[in-house]
Amino acid sequence: MRQSNCSNNPGRLPQDHESPVHLIGLTQPHGVLIGLEASTFNIAHISDNAISHLGISAQTLIGQNLFELIESSTPIQHLQHSLETCSNYPSYHPISISTPSETKQFDGLLHRIDNSILLELEPTHKQTAVELTSLQNQIQRSLSRLRSLDDITDFLQTATTEIQAITGFERVMVYRFDEHCAGSVIAEVKPPEKVSYLGLHYPATDIPTTVRQLYHQGLTRFIPDLRAPSVELVTAEQSFAQTPVDLRYAILRGVDPCCVEYHQNMGVTALLVIALVQGNRLWGLISCHHPTSKFLPYPVRSACVILGQLVAAEVAGKVDRKELNYLSSLQAIQANFIDSIAKATDFKQALIEPAPRLLEVVSAQGAAICLDQDITLIGETPCLEDIQALISWSLEKPSSEIFHTNCLVQVYPSAVNIQAVASGLIVLTISKVRRYLILWFRPEVLQTINWAGNPHESVREGQAILGPRTSFENWKETVRATALPWKSAELANALALKNAIVGIVLSKADELAQINLELERSNRELDSFAYAASHDLKEPLRGITNFSNLILRRYSESLDESAVKRLQTLVKLAERMDRLIDALLRFSRLGQAELQQQPTDLNTLLSKVLETLHAGQNEDTSTIQIHIPRQLPAVKADSILLSEVFSNLLSNALKYTDQPQPSIEVGYLEPNDPKIADGIEPNTCVIYVQDDGIGIHKRHFQNIFRLFKRLHERDSYGGGTGVGLTIAKKIIERHGGHIWVESTYGMGTTFYFVLNCEEK
Amino acid sequence: MLQDNKTPLLVVEDSDEDFEVLQIFMEDMAVTNPIYRCTTGDKALEFLYREQDEGTKENQRPSMILLDLNLPGTDGREILARLKQDDQFREIPIVIFTTNSDPKDIKFCYRKGANGYLIKPVRTERFEKAIQAFVDYWLNTNTLPEWVEFTGNK
Repeated sequence: MRQSNCSNNPGRLPQDHESPVHLIGLTQPHGVLIGLEASTFNIAHISDNAISHLGISAQTLIGQNLFELIESSTPIQHLQHSLETCSNYPSYHPISISTPSETKQFDGLLHRIDNSILLELEPTHKQTAVELTSLQNQIQRSLSRLRSLDDITDFLQTATTEIQAITGFERVMVYRFDEHCAGSVIAEVKPPEKVSYLGLHYPATDIPTTVRQLYHQGLTRFIPDLRAPSVELVTAEQSFAQTPVDLRYAILRGVDPCCVEYHQNMGVTALLVIALVQGNRLWGLISCHHPTSKFLPYPVRSACVILGQLVAAEVAGKVDRKELNYLSSLQAIQANFIDSIAKATDFKQALIEPAPRLLEVVSAQGAAICLDQDITLIGETPCLEDIQALISWSLEKPSSEIFHTNCLVQVYPSAVNIQAVASGLIVLTISKVRRYLILWFRPEVLQTINWAGNPHESVREGQAILGPRTSFENWKETVRATALPWKSAELANALALKNAIVGIVLSKADELAQINLELERSNRELDSFAYAASHDLKEPLRGITNFSNLILRRYSESLDESAVKRLQTLVKLAERMDRLIDALLRFSRLGQAELQQQPTDLNTLLSKVLETLHAGQNEDTSTIQIHIPRQLPAVKADSILLSEVFSNLLSNALKYTDQPQPSIEVGYLEPNDPKIADGIEPNTCVIYVQDDGIGIHKRHFQNIFRLFKRLHERDSYGGGTGVGLTIAKKIIERHGGHIWVESTYGMGTTFYFVLNCEEK
Repeated sequence: MLQDNKTPLLVVEDSDEDFEVLQIFMEDMAVTNPIYRCTTGDKALEFLYREQDEGTKENQRPSMILLDLNLPGTDGREILARLKQDDQFREIPIVIFTTNSDPKDIKFCYRKGANGYLIKPVRTERFEKAIQAFVDYWLNTNTLPEWVEFTGNK
């Protein structure tokens, strides 16, 4: 591939000082190059090998008119016309020149550059009519064979075979350029014993910019013998002395020494390169190598050019078809995906399963689905920690729904650790606020290249030698940390996925709103139900109580003692049932009532609760004494409900004791208190109510919070309904806290609960 | 006010037991007002509107209504709303007497113009207390509207 530019030589010139190949001032020796003054057709330049081809020295020819040289058998008028009308692109013209010894036939190629006309003369290779006809037939066959092939690999492979047959060169390769102008060998034909270059990559710098431009214009490069010494150009002293001749379009342009070295290291002596130009783009090259010098006559070269043009034109169709197939498969995946997401009740699940689908939709190797704190990984991805960092980084960036790169380290230097799997990245932001993102990853290209056939042992100790091996090293530098670029259809798929998800989320939100409405209604219904039920239960209960009492009042004289006692029990049971119904009603309403949270001073609240408890106590019982070791904090709570919690806990402490004078303590712990085992959130505190009562067995620590659950006989310890702690628990939970108990049986009990502190 | 002239009390109550106990307690409390009872909302409306149409048995027109809320058919809330919207009945005090303790219902009744809301307790002594309070205030202490324009013989 290398045409010039010793990029691997130590001390080589930087890229921008690249030697201008078109001003090399040297020609190849297999022909004569003549520079003509455009107006006069006088010879201004001529290659120094004129003597060997024309039998006249260059010095003699300088200044002469071209037509003095031309043999009369040449169609002069035609030549004159060609000279006047020629363009940049060399046009063929057979020319006869009479040398001192004989009249020689030349293949003339004419083109205009600036104010010069360059005429290049190659000795005409004597070809028989049979040879020419067979070449024509060969081309015909090649063309029709190539046209019949649909598969791009077969097509290119056949093209190399055909060109090998036509040229007789031992190795023919097709290179394809990527968007960074780096090339890779995608088809090759070679002798079996030679090392294959198939799949090898070359950096863009392997071809100097000028040469690339020339290829872009469809030029062909032919070097029959790289070892042949270059020929100097002789220039007329007066006219164009100041300006070196621009040889960019010259077939005979001399070969850069780097190019020679590069190819000789690969064992190449003869070289033919045909540009494959597709539309306005240099798609690739066909490169032909031969180990010994090999001259191809003009008709053969021009046959190869025709084949090259066919390849370039046809490959476009084939590549497009392949691309189209891919695009339509992408679309099919997307349609199927969106369809299943729309039907799914859980869109996260639909994203994840089946796993390959989320990757296929953009042709990625790995993906991460981030739904707030929940991150799911699929395929080959960086580790969770790296992904979290990456997500934080991408969320900091200015808002855009999709971000993509095929070289993450360029924008996110920390990616250097994850470039193997995540050089390519798409970040699809579904919701920044809710941290809903999908990330797709593509590995570094280097990781995906199969470099099994390391072709050359061309790196020798201490001395870098130009060759594909070192070129690969070079290429590695240019593609390091780079992934295959994301295609616009893939990005479009990602965006379509976002729209689908947003649509689904929105419709789910609608559904949720609907469900909320229904919940609200059923909550209201439940509320009414609780009242209605309690009403309906109480009515017969009242009948029982009232009639029993009436009997007791009016007919007790006619009843015996046990009948009276049983009637009294009946009344007592009915009254108990009344209390149970009230508790149930209270409990059912707790879940629905709205909390009126406000800053609440626990000291004030507690003293009010104590007052109420005092009021409810019988005169004869001792006064309630509660120890408060330090000022209680202010909390954020619904004071009425919180009063109920204290009231329930304190009345339990007063009830479940055998002490004549129970000792009760109410205090609080800070979040960092070592007594709190699990730790709690900052800005919360733990309130405790401690007694020296009868205590609770550890096995009942959970039971005590259950509705209507009592640990003692129905009438012992004041005969509660078994709902006080259930209500306390519910109230604390409604406040976002939790309640638990610690107790040593027979020693006392401590209830703890967490509340949000009012900020100081 | 003479006992004979005591204005009638309409009790709208579907529960026979509650009504019986109510009657017993009122007897004990020496209430002498005539007591009419309707067991459903529809019957109560029928009773009131028939009275008005005939216009003759003026002394049967209630001066006080004790109204249960949860009634078969037209329920207590509707009766209340309807009577309080009707110029002919608006001034008759209506005291709700119900087991229902739903705050929403209590609010609703006052909004619609209820003159009192008594919750029927289950315990007999409390039930008796509630009736005693009603009798003391509404029948014995409070002055109820009279119906001179209809009776014409004040």
